[in-house]
Amino acid sequence: MPKWFKRERKEEKREEEGGVKKEVKEAVKGVFYGMASHGMVRYMLKTRMYLEHLFMLITLGDMLGFPILPPYYSLKLLPYAIPHIKTWKRSLFRERDVTDLLY
Amino acid sequence: MPKSLKEFFDASPELRIVVYAGKGGLGKTTASAATAYWFSKRGKKPLCFSTDPQASLSDIFERDIFGKGVIEVAPSLYVVEIDADKRIAEFQEEVRAKIRELYKIEKIPDEIDEYIRTAAAEPAMHESATYDAMAELLAKGEYDIYIFDMPPFGHGVRMISMAQILDAWIDKMEETRRKAAEYEEAVARLKGLSAKTEDEVLVELREIRRKLDFFRESLTNPKTCAFFMVIIPEKMAILDTERALEMFDKLGIKLSGIIVNQIYPPSLLENPNISTFLKNRIEMQQKYMKVIWEKFEEYIRALVPMFDREPKGLDMIAKVAEHMFERPWEVDVI
Ligand SMILES: Nc1ncnc2c1ncn2[C@@H]1O[C@H](COP(=O)(O)OP(=O)(O)OP(=O)(O)O)[C@@H](O)[C@H]1O
Ligand SMILES: [Mg+2]
Repeated sequence: MPKWFKRERKEEKREEEGGVKKEVKEAVKGVFYGMASHGMVRYMLKTRMYLEHLFMLITLGDMLGFPILPPYYSLKLLPYAIPHIKTWKRSLFRERDVTDLLY
Repeated sequence: MPKSLKEFFDASPELRIVVYAGKGGLGKTTASAATAYWFSKRGKKPLCFSTDPQASLSDIFERDIFGKGVIEVAPSLYVVEIDADKRIAEFQEEVRAKIRELYKIEKIPDEIDEYIRTAAAEPAMHESATYDAMAELLAKGEYDIYIFDMPPFGHGVRMISMAQILDAWIDKMEETRRKAAEYEEAVARLKGLSAKTEDEVLVELREIRRKLDFFRESLTNPKTCAFFMVIIPEKMAILDTERALEMFDKLGIKLSGIIVNQIYPPSLLENPNISTFLKNRIEMQQKYMKVIWEKFEEYIRALVPMFDREPKGLDMIAKVAEHMFERPWEVDVI
């Protein structure tokens, strides 16, 4: 079987899965909509921030002495991370052990 | 007799990458140059790649190609010798330019610039920039076969493990990034705002991943990639080879073969005027040659004699190629 054939198939499948997932998500969102409580927004913002921190940690971990990515790729992603660096460092040192985020 | 180098290549039509690994100074660059030469003579379009700061390819091809991009040193024989320092300096500038463009600023903040400088100075930077250069060349696919002349000490193996680890991390990053975007979108909706456009970082991550995936896939598929070790008949070589075999095993990769280089022709012993020094050396080599053969016979792909001078220049490279590919089991110098 030629290689491209397999690849094409895989992508197709991924799209399918994505499609179903998306539908479910839309439905869930619909339910959320209208009953948006202050608490829910806060919870979501918090989760989002946590994910952002995790991302920053993987990308620029070496800034804190946790090199994760090879420096070439850290530098490549650095420009996008700049606006978050200050808040990220501050909150990390305040919140908890850095390793908690990783594992 | 085990399978010779030529038989190996003839039986591997899908091969795209050849890697010569091994300790320093045993003949990786020499073998790489000879292999590229041989493929070019067979109507293929090979690219010989090196990042040796000593400019060893410039040295062996007797032409200054260091940091000058891909050069055709002989008909259909392409060579590139990356100047890693220069490449990193250029890359630093690219990163700075990107920051200026993204945030419309002239001066890079001190803290950021400091980070750019220290990251570039790390030894790991050299390595990762090198692998990225290789991955990029490979992804472009402009050549029939890529011959990677690796720096000494098992870096070929490190390259694979790094590609594997990196791939896993990029996966995780993509996932966190995607999830973060989803939450952001949800929050925006809950607040009645419109969702943001696609994240530029995700685009960059996918690009890195695509390149690495291809690199790792090509490197770990025994049909597309062959790893050879270059050794010489000495005691250390036996231990080194055993270690290398273990390492390869751990990574789930098969060593494609061993080239035994710098063998003194035993026929020299027939000369009654041979010096004691040379005689002892030859006898020592023969002793270890025997052990190497007993232990690793199935891997041995070619024996290459010790020449009376350093093989440099196209004529000598042709000679090495002749030995490696056409008379793999003879060590009397032609
Ligand atoms: N068969 C041979 N006969 C004589 N000299 C040889 C032979 N093979 C290699 N040499 C010489 O030995 C030296 C080391 O060889 P080469 O540069 O190919 O090794 P290497 O493994 O690439 O070294 P490094 O680890 O420094 O990159 C060179 O000067 C080369 O010309
Ligand atoms: Mg070399």
